Amino acid sequence: MERLDSRVRVVWLGSALVTALVVGVAVAIAGRRLFEVGLWVGPAVFAVLAVLGVAYTLQRYRVWGFDIESDAVTLERGVVTRVNSVVPFVRVQHVDSQRGPIERLAGLSSVVVYTAGSRGADVTIPGLRPERAEAIQAELRRLATESEPGDPEDAV
Amino acid sequence: MKLHPLSLPLRAIPRGANGGVLGLFLSFAVEQTGIVPTGSVVTGTLLFVAGFALGAGYEAVYYRRFEYDLTADTLDIGSGVLSRREREIPLRRIQNVDISRGVLQRALSIAVVDVETAGGGQTEASLRYVSYDEAKRLQGDLRRGEREGSGAGGGRATAEGAIDADAAAEEAAEPRRPGESEELLFALSPRNLVLLGLVAPDLRALLPVLFFAVPTVGLSIPDLLTETGALTVGPRGAALAIVSWVGTAAVTAARYYDFQLSRVGDELRYERGLLGRYDGSIPIAKIQQVDVRENFLMRRVGYASLAVETAGYTPGEGPSGGSEAAIPLAGRDRVVDLARSIEGFDFDEPEFARPPRRARRRYAVRYALALGLVAGVLWIANTLFDVSFLQYWYAPLAGIALAPVAGHYKWLHRGYDVGGEHVLTRNGFWRRSIAVVPAYRVQTVIQTATPFQRWRSLATVAIDTAGSLSVTDRGARAVDFDVTEAIDLRETVRQGLQASLRTRRDGFATSETATPFVDGGEDGNRSE
Repeated sequence: MERLDSRVRVVWLGSALVTALVVGVAVAIAGRRLFEVGLWVGPAVFAVLAVLGVAYTLQRYRVWGFDIESDAVTLERGVVTRVNSVVPFVRVQHVDSQRGPIERLAGLSSVVVYTAGSRGADVTIPGLRPERAEAIQAELRRLATESEPGDPEDAV
Repeated sequence: MKLHPLSLPLRAIPRGANGGVLGLFLSFAVEQTGIVPTGSVVTGTLLFVAGFALGAGYEAVYYRRFEYDLTADTLDIGSGVLSRREREIPLRRIQNVDISRGVLQRALSIAVVDVETAGGGQTEASLRYVSYDEAKRLQGDLRRGEREGSGAGGGRATAEGAIDADAAAEEAAEPRRPGESEELLFALSPRNLVLLGLVAPDLRALLPVLFFAVPTVGLSIPDLLTETGALTVGPRGAALAIVSWVGTAAVTAARYYDFQLSRVGDELRYERGLLGRYDGSIPIAKIQQVDVRENFLMRRVGYASLAVETAGYTPGEGPSGGSEAAIPLAGRDRVVDLARSIEGFDFDEPEFARPPRRARRRYAVRYALALGLVAGVLWIANTLFDVSFLQYWYAPLAGIALAPVAGHYKWLHRGYDVGGEHVLTRNGFWRRSIAVVPAYRVQTVIQTATPFQRWRSLATVAIDTAGSLSVTDRGARAVDFDVTEAIDLRETVRQGLQASLRTRRDGFATSETATPFVDGGEDGNRSE
C-alpha cells in the first residue's frame, strides 16, 4: 500500500481546526445570547473538537492507503467505517486532479477517479505531491486506455 | 420536425394558468404596499391576464422554436426560449425510450416520448407531445437507426459499435420490418393482476386513499383512536384497513393493467396501464443487473417480480422508482426462467451462502436497542406531555421478546452466491430482493466494515454496476460475512471481471465463433 504524503495531516488538521473554531465561536455566541452560560463554554467546545480532530486526523492518515495494481486501483480508508474499494482500470471514465485552497498552501494535490457506477462513482485520492498526482493521472489514463481492446467492454 | 400542433394548447393552458395564479398573488402583494386600492378587481384581473399571457406566450414560443430530427446516427433536438440548446444524442448511447399517454392524451391520440441515456441527471430528450403514431415510429426508428447507424459508421471503435456492427450484419442477412418478429414473452393474466394488487399494494397511494376512504366509511380519526386500544382494532378500524388495502391494490392494478412484455429484435418492450398507457423499450445489450423481488406475501403464494436495471434513469426516477419492472408478478419459476433467458443472465440455480451465526445476534441486539430507544423516547414524552396513550410507553419493550425471531429471519434471507459468470446477492425479509450481476457488468467492488462489524470481524461487500438504483434498493450487497470470506468475495468478483473481459477479448478476436453476448464482433476497425 502506498501511503499519502505526510503533509496531508496538516491539511486535514487545518480543516478540522477551522471547523472546531467555527463551531466553538458559534456556541460561544449562542451561549452568551440565548442561554447566558459562562464564557468558558465556547473555548471548551473548541478544545474538545480540536482534540477529536487531531485524533481523527492521525488515525485517518494511519489507515489511508492506495495501490495501483495490475488490473485495478485499490484503496483502503475510513476511521469509523473501514472501506476497501477496488476500481478496475477498464471502468475508469475519466481522471481529474484537484487542488483545494488549503492543499495548495501545503503544496499538495488530489486525484479523482470517476466510474460509471451508481454509488461511489467517484473516488478521491488526497494528499499527493503534485508530481506524483500527475504521474498517477497519466498512468491511470494510460492503463484505462490500454485495457480497452477494441472496447467490447464499455459496460454502459 | 415539430411537435404535434395540439402540444400548443396542452402546454400553453397549464403554464398560462400557473402564470395567472402567480399574477393574482402578485396583485395581493401589490395591494399590501398600498400603491393601488385594496380589493380592486382591476389590479387582480390585469395581473392575472398578464401572467396568463406570459405563461402561454412562453409555451407558444417554445412550441415554435422546438425542433427535432432523427438522422442516420443521432437524434438532434433544438429547444429553448431564452437560451437556445442544440442537443445531439448518438443513437448508440440511448438506453430507454418511454412513451407515456395520460387519459387526455389517449383521447387525442398523442403521447410523450422520453429518451434516456446514461449521462446527465435528467431525461435527456422529452418530446411533449407528438402524435402516437409518430411516437411509435420514433421508438422503432431509434432502435433501427442505432443498429444501422453504427454499422454504416464503420471505423468507430466503441463497444456498441462493435456489438451493433454484428447486429447490423445479422439484420442485413435477414431484414426485419417494424412490427415483425415481435415475440410475446409475458402477459399478465387478469387473475394475476388482482393478485398483484393484493400482494403488492401501492403504499404511496395510501394517503389519498385514506382521504377518500375516511368520509366514505363514515368515521372520524379521533373517534377511531378512542375506539382503538393499544392492541385491539375496532370494527370500523378494520373496515378502514380493508378499504385502504383494496384502494391501494386498485392503484397497483390500474398501473399494471394489461401488462405485456415482448421482445422485438434485440430489445425488450413493455406496455401497461388502465387509464394512462405506458410503453417503453429496453435494449437487452444495456441491461446491467436484474433483480428478482418477492415480498413476504408473494413468497407465501410462490410468486415473484422481476426488475431489469439499465443506466438510463437516475436513482429514484423512472417508471417504477429507479428500475423497470420487467415482470410485475408471475410464478417464481417463470420469473427465474425469464431472467435466465436474457442474454448474459443465464445464471445457475443459486445456492446462497449465509452470513455466520454471530451476524444474527447482531440483528437481535440491534432490534432490541431500537425498541428500547423508542420506549425511552415515549417515556420522556410521557413525563413531559399529558397524552393518554403515552402511559403505555413501555409497550415497545414487549417487542424485545420478538427481537431474536426478527433477527433470525433477517439473517435467514441474507446471502450471496458467486459463480463463474455471475454474482448473486440476497437481502430482505419483508421485501426480499435477489440481485444478479454478470461479472462483466461490475463497475467497482467496495468492502466496508462499521465499528460494530469490525468488533465481530464481519464485513459487507457491495458490487456496484452502472444500473440505476431506486431509493429503497441499495444494489447488490453481501452483508455481514466473515472478513476473510468478504475479502475472498471481493477478490473473486474482481478476477471474475478480468476473466470475462478476457473471454470477450478472445471472442472479439475470433468473432465468427463467438456468441452474441460474449462477442465484440468488430471487423478489424482497430487496424485502420
